[in-house]
Amino acid sequence: MEEKEKQDFGTGEEKESNRRDFLRSAFTTTAGGLIVLTGIATPRQNVATAQEKPKEPPKEVYKYLFATRRNCTGCRACEYACSLRLEKVVRPSVAALHVKRYWSIVDVPVICWQCDDPAPCIKACPTTPVAIKRDPKHNGITYIDKKTCLGGKCNKCIEACPPQFLRRHPDTGWPIFCDTCEGDPECVKACKEQASGDLAPCLREEKLGFGVNMAYKDVKVADAAKDLLMELFYPSKGGR
Amino acid sequence: MKPKGGYFGSILEVNLTNKTAKPREISEETYRKYIGGSGLGAFFLWNSLKAKANPLGAEAPIFFGLGPLNGTYCTAPRMSVVFKSPHTGIFGDSQVGGSFSNELKWAGWDGILVTGRSRLPVYLYIGNDKVEIKDARSIWGKDTYATEQAILTELKDQDVKVACIGPAGEHQVTYGCIIVDRFRAAGRAGGGAVMGSKNLKAIAVKGTKVVPIARDEPFMKAAKASHKLAVEKEAWQNIKRWGTAGLLESKNWGTGSLVTRNYQTTWWPDIAQIGAEEAERRFWKRHTSCPNCPIHCMKIGVVRWGPYAGLVAEGPEYETGTMLGSNCDVAELGGLLKGIEACDALGLDTITMGNVLGYAMELIDRSIITHADLDGIKLEWGDVPAMLELIKRTAYKRGKAGQLLSLGVKRMAEKIGKDADFYAIHVKGLELAAHDPRGDKPRGVSYSFGPTGGDHHSGDNPQTQARWAMINSLVMCTFVAGYPWGPQTPPIFTNMLNPLCGWDMKDEEFWDTAKRIITLERCFSVREGISRKDDVLPKRLMTEKLPDGPKKGAVVTAEEMKKMQDDFYKFFGWDDNGIPTAETLNKLKIDFAEAQIKPFRKA
Repeated sequence: MEEKEKQDFGTGEEKESNRRDFLRSAFTTTAGGLIVLTGIATPRQNVATAQEKPKEPPKEVYKYLFATRRNCTGCRACEYACSLRLEKVVRPSVAALHVKRYWSIVDVPVICWQCDDPAPCIKACPTTPVAIKRDPKHNGITYIDKKTCLGGKCNKCIEACPPQFLRRHPDTGWPIFCDTCEGDPECVKACKEQASGDLAPCLREEKLGFGVNMAYKDVKVADAAKDLLMELFYPSKGGR
Repeated sequence: MKPKGGYFGSILEVNLTNKTAKPREISEETYRKYIGGSGLGAFFLWNSLKAKANPLGAEAPIFFGLGPLNGTYCTAPRMSVVFKSPHTGIFGDSQVGGSFSNELKWAGWDGILVTGRSRLPVYLYIGNDKVEIKDARSIWGKDTYATEQAILTELKDQDVKVACIGPAGEHQVTYGCIIVDRFRAAGRAGGGAVMGSKNLKAIAVKGTKVVPIARDEPFMKAAKASHKLAVEKEAWQNIKRWGTAGLLESKNWGTGSLVTRNYQTTWWPDIAQIGAEEAERRFWKRHTSCPNCPIHCMKIGVVRWGPYAGLVAEGPEYETGTMLGSNCDVAELGGLLKGIEACDALGLDTITMGNVLGYAMELIDRSIITHADLDGIKLEWGDVPAMLELIKRTAYKRGKAGQLLSLGVKRMAEKIGKDADFYAIHVKGLELAAHDPRGDKPRGVSYSFGPTGGDHHSGDNPQTQARWAMINSLVMCTFVAGYPWGPQTPPIFTNMLNPLCGWDMKDEEFWDTAKRIITLERCFSVREGISRKDDVLPKRLMTEKLPDGPKKGAVVTAEEMKKMQDDFYKFFGWDDNGIPTAETLNKLKIDFAEAQIKPFRKA
């Protein structure tokens, strides 16, 4: 399975020049932490040259949200930034991504990997039509239809989420989805600012490719914590 | 009046004797007068305890105090624990970072005031408004790490934050501490013993509320500016890189204030073997930070060599590395880290423990006590296994050695007699912490006048002490908020406080509030008999010159001490004997203290 995914990654990469093909292959056949839709800044042109040459439309580059787990210091600035955007207040319990601390020594950032079809949350959704939607523009799982979603009574999607990313809103019980800040994730900005010292940031927006740690998309948080423990503190056993 | 912002408006009042937990509303006026944290705690302490009350008695309160800034965007991840210190018998407070404080604020409380004594061990679980006093018999006796993990397992929630005590607190060792996040400690003055005396093993908390803000936009602007200062401030870049361990070497080679072998000298070239660079090379694995803090000063690693291979520990920090390292002549990083980890796990204050061990080593050296007094344990300079055994016995008060060492240096000296007093380094019963005031003279102010006694963290001049009293009430961290910024200091705080709480605090009120807090804390200690005679550095530091190192020959003279005292009393408006005057109490609007303070003034 892993082998197949890697190959598909490769295919996706090669076709990147053709955006449509890339999208088709990347999102219908493989993984998908698709997140960020960034318009790359239009090339700097002065007025004169712009008049001579017809202006090229800005090239859209799709970026994904990734976490370099060993860099996380557990400062939760991403949660702060996320809740500030979602509810305009500092309230980590409603943030769409979260940082879990295990044994007080490892911090696991839990983010939405934007799973490939059929995404477990969409598959688990019992309503007709399905309440969890992908954004037609870039195929990311970005929102729930509040009219059809059963809300706090159901939570089937939360149970189904492999990396335990989805969680209940503390007030309403509704699942909290990551809408990727419509292409400009606040969490990445906050993480970059926090990592101002010698430390590299944990969260990144990257193009799809190798080294993006997609292997974690089906790994439960506790298991990811164990991996991190072994990676950082081997040969320690059981966190002490 | 209900506060407009920054506070939820009520603290949680828990009585463990009756097993009750109910909210107690606090008015905005009280908050504005005492801010929160240490200040509010001092107010509660003054009101609810009579002079000479037993600090480990059932009626003695312990206040887990938060301030307005906790839980907001501002980096304020600390909590102030306030109690009457069983170690010194005077005012006691201790700050701790980590994730507990913000979680408690988000649960909707501005603090927890615990009184009474449970018959059986209990722990407190707070999930927003839901407060439960739970059975802790199964976790009583466990070390701090096991306690935290057991509570997370029992509550089936990984996001719960725990503050707990270890065996030392349970056995009421008067320097038992309260541990948060496994490695962070409200260490000084014995808060752990107070919790232990109440049979309160831990407090677990989870919160999902939002801190109300009076005027959102200006507050966020100011909070972001303060955060940016922490990100960019040049001095912090080294703390990010090396933590406070970076100070270990610089205090030896540069400042000349590295405490060595129970304050015999400050020159210890072996420091290179336990310093930050060595830790970076052999031990550290990752940085950890408090909520929203860009400084990530905490370093965690794993020992990869020697008898303690596989040990996961935190440190060395400056104080832990000095007191259990150079002060005990431990020049082996693995052994040092094992000592630090043992203190954290057992819930002992590493600073006092290091002092006590160094003190015992010197007394043995000078034949004032013998190995027989320590149950035959052959304690020598730098002997890690013997130290570990003694740390363990101290935490459980086991045997003659444990009984003796658990007293702290002041009461050890009283018990031993002979010349032991000269080598006991403490102010008002609290052991000094890792900075030798002979090499670092301003630190002498912090030690001599710190509200809790020989505390390194109270400010190096009167004005800094006032500022730090505010920081401990807000409750911020001295790294993010602490060091001298000159005249722009009050605005940094008031720019955040005013929009947050809907106040219009000016610089003058800022300083008055700070002075009020310090003076009320002082009043509490005055009631216990503290005056000018107690505001002095230990005799050794004022008579014995530093034998070597960069500050060779330095000593704190009587004139310097007198000047420090005069300046300090003048700044805060206390009389010559160090007792707050009636005018000062009036001016600071704490005249309710006058009746009890009056008898202590000289006629």
